[in-house]
Amino acid sequence: MFSTVPKPCIRSISNRVKGLTSLYNARSCTSHAGKRADNMKKNMTRYRFIYPEFLPDPKIDFRNPVREMLERNDMIARRHQIDIPEFYVGSILAVEASDPHTPGKVQRFVGICIQRKNCGLRANFILRNIIDHQGVEILYDLYDPCIQKIEVLRLEKRLDDELLYLRDALPEYCTFDPNMEPEILPEDGDVPVNPIKVKLKPRPWLERWERKNLKGLQDLGLNERFYERARAVATPWEKYDLMKEYMRTIPEEEQNEILGEVQSKLQKLDVTKKRQKRKRVFVKPTKLA
Amino acid sequence: MNQAEVTKLVSQLRIKVNSRLRKFRNPKGPEERLNKLRKTVTALIKHERIELNYPRADEARMYAERLISDAIRYGDCHKTTMEMADYWLVEKQLIHKLFKVLAPRYENYTVAYTRMLPAPRSYPGYLKAVLELKGNPYPSLLPDTHTNRNLIHNVLLDEAKKAYRMQKYKEIANKVEDRVRAEAQAAGAQSSQPVDVKSNTENAEVSESSQKELNKEVEVKDK
Repeated sequence: MFSTVPKPCIRSISNRVKGLTSLYNARSCTSHAGKRADNMKKNMTRYRFIYPEFLPDPKIDFRNPVREMLERNDMIARRHQIDIPEFYVGSILAVEASDPHTPGKVQRFVGICIQRKNCGLRANFILRNIIDHQGVEILYDLYDPCIQKIEVLRLEKRLDDELLYLRDALPEYCTFDPNMEPEILPEDGDVPVNPIKVKLKPRPWLERWERKNLKGLQDLGLNERFYERARAVATPWEKYDLMKEYMRTIPEEEQNEILGEVQSKLQKLDVTKKRQKRKRVFVKPTKLA
Repeated sequence: MNQAEVTKLVSQLRIKVNSRLRKFRNPKGPEERLNKLRKTVTALIKHERIELNYPRADEARMYAERLISDAIRYGDCHKTTMEMADYWLVEKQLIHKLFKVLAPRYENYTVAYTRMLPAPRSYPGYLKAVLELKGNPYPSLLPDTHTNRNLIHNVLLDEAKKAYRMQKYKEIANKVEDRVRAEAQAAGAQSSQPVDVKSNTENAEVSESSQKELNKEVEVKDK
């Protein structure tokens, strides 16, 4: 409800707020319904990060509630067909997809997710790996019917929201074994953040990384003039633009409405999956010879 | 098509949000746009009612709403909210007003915190507007239609009141009649004496008291 940054600026109000929070906590702890609501809230916070593609595009011109609802239904329907796991930028995935150029076969690609973009049925992600000394990137649509299986080999986050700088990094930072085994994480814990700092190749680069304020990069070793220019073109006032911030996000009330609906549907899906698993009986293989 | 950012949560604004932001005329660059709006937002928080050009008022209104909604949502212990307040309010004493006066004032509001009304134009084509915080101490800008008896809802309310009154009077009259009849019957049964003056006065008293009750009831209903 209220974060408690230890910097009380106006003491009386902050004390009142603290009292209110403790009261709220106490009440929610005592009652069972309150507990459930709390749980729901916690779930919602997780869902925001696990399923970002369920939230609509924040640009007002693109909003269309009916289309968004239909797309969400289609996404849930696709999730009935294949299991789309939780993953983040920086996670290592293996994707099995059929390819029009090799009919009847399945292509498996292992790589690190360097970007997640778009929302609704257009949601996509880019996997990157280095194969035979050649950088390979494949952009997959998350709800593409060609995709047959998505497997998370290592679930982790990185320091940045996009890892496009791996294109200019030394090859060891994005080389992954295609035969990698999936790593198992403890069941109920936060997703670990990999604090690795990537070393880039010397210039020229695809983008001016020194201007992007990236946390996951080692010292770039550039001439001072590059940093000066970066400082000159920086727009430090943009973080104070409250309306731009508002237009980049979806208000919480709306998020809760959408995610609540998605949550109930996904829970139903979970239940049906479990039931199917139970139904599947072991069939003794028959002797053929 | 982009994904919505979810790291910072915001409350929904209760006003219509334009699909794009106005740029204004800024010879000094995009930073100046925010500086302009900053002055307006500060003035709005300070004076609670200002008159200005329409585009600036429309733009500043969104920023003021965002600032107040954040102040209500996160309180004064939230570092980023405090930084925002520090940036947007040029006069620093207003930060206290935002968190101590405005946030409690608007805590339970379900509507917008500001009101924007069209103002008379100074020159054709140049729109003006009045921007004000709701719950300000000034007299209202809108005409008071509450007391206009000719408005349809007031007319209907008056008629309803009249009908209610008439119904109540009838009930009381019936009651009094019943009582008189009953007393007359009792007297006839006792000794066929004529009804004395005293009982008549009593009856009058009773009717007076019932009248008072009725008035009270009507008042309560009015409230």
